[in-house]
Amino acid sequence: MPEQPAVRVTNVSKRYGRRAPTLRDINLAVEPGTIVTLAGSNGSGKSTLLRCIAGLARFIGVIEVRSHDVRADGGFRGEVGYLPQSVAFPPQSTVDETLAFFAQLRGTGDVALPLPDGFLPARSALVGTLSGGQRQRLAMAIALLGNPAVLLLDEPVSNLDESGRESVWTMLCELKATGTTALIASPSPADLAGIGDRTVVLHEGRIVDDREQVAS
Amino acid sequence: MAGWEYRNASRSRWVIGTAVAFALLCLAVSLLGLRSLRELGLSGVGPASAALINLGILLPALMGLLLGGNALVAAREQGVLPMIAVQPVSRSSLVLGPFLGVSAALAVSVLLGFGVAAVVLSGVARRSDVMPLTALVGSTLAVAVTCVAIGLGVSAVSRSRLQATSTAITLWFMLALGMDLVLAAAAPAVRMGPAGLLVAVVSNPLEAGRVLALLGSSSDGTALGPFGAYLVESFGSGGAAAILAGSLVFWTLAPLVLARWVLSRGDL
Repeated sequence: MPEQPAVRVTNVSKRYGRRAPTLRDINLAVEPGTIVTLAGSNGSGKSTLLRCIAGLARFIGVIEVRSHDVRADGGFRGEVGYLPQSVAFPPQSTVDETLAFFAQLRGTGDVALPLPDGFLPARSALVGTLSGGQRQRLAMAIALLGNPAVLLLDEPVSNLDESGRESVWTMLCELKATGTTALIASPSPADLAGIGDRTVVLHEGRIVDDREQVAS
Repeated sequence: MAGWEYRNASRSRWVIGTAVAFALLCLAVSLLGLRSLRELGLSGVGPASAALINLGILLPALMGLLLGGNALVAAREQGVLPMIAVQPVSRSSLVLGPFLGVSAALAVSVLLGFGVAAVVLSGVARRSDVMPLTALVGSTLAVAVTCVAIGLGVSAVSRSRLQATSTAITLWFMLALGMDLVLAAAAPAVRMGPAGLLVAVVSNPLEAGRVLALLGSSSDGTALGPFGAYLVESFGSGGAAAILAGSLVFWTLAPLVLARWVLSRGDL
């Protein structure tokens, strides 16, 4: 029997209020253990598609994550790690408290992460004292808690320095080898050359290109 | 989640600042009340507790509306709510966590303020003052918690922090002053009887809390004048207290249900 896609998006459309549709009839199937880059200019619908898959936005159509219907079955949430484009955690909390809180929500007491030493800022540091890049590293760590089977990452390296980017790409390659699936929204897909398996290009809410990435 | 929300709320400079301001106001009101007592040659804590009722109902209500009003919309704007919502937690937890956490932080602020007042008034308080003061603290906490819930309802339907804050302040003015003014102007014209007044009171959680506190200060309802006499005569003091408390429970549950519904149906 063929393996079920890790993520299956069927005839999905999304409109915010009376504005023009942000997503128009999207169809996409992502095989387990693959890294898909969602490319496209600003406003093309990349972030909205990730938000729909994460169950954070209402949509028309059907989305399944590891066979869970996103709209009907909350069970998919334990399988997904999500990194929004920008996040500002409460400034009075420490890095450790923030990680522990999300680990508790995740149902894992363990905050061991597949990240290299030095990737995260000091655990005792107050979040309010962190730079934008350090906050993004913390958010990335939270998205990885509990080893989710599907990662939805919205511009994961936009605020990171060169070493941070390198760490994220290395970590993604290692996770991919263990069967983790990732959908990564990126305005500059060239960054993922050699890492991504497939590039899906969106334009005005439609998929206009979908091609395998050739290993470099 | 409630613990996380409590920790963040109680560490917020805004909450600490308002808690200190409330404590200082309670202290000032208590000292002024004591001076009045001495000048009038009275005993007990009557004038001080009357002033504390107004302070206790108005300020914590504003704090509750603002804190609750910002809780969800700020978390949504900052990207924290989406990160929490993708975790395996129920949609009810997204509302109940902030409700319990913010309510607890506000309750600590209120108890701190009244604690200061209690220390000042302890020298002149009589045994008979204990019940009215307990009713005052209980009513204040109930109104504060109710306002956190109303604030959360506002937060769930607001698109920005600015919108939530301005709605919360407008709502506070309406509940604290607007409805009283409308009532004062309209009651004689429409010949509103005590039953109509009761409907108006239970329609406004701040008023329900104030009447509950006053009812607690005199179980025969004399502190409320003819309206108090009507309440006690019609429902008994326990029944009247139950109606008023029921109104606060309704104004707590209704916005929480609304917020839960909005979060489960809308975009996060």
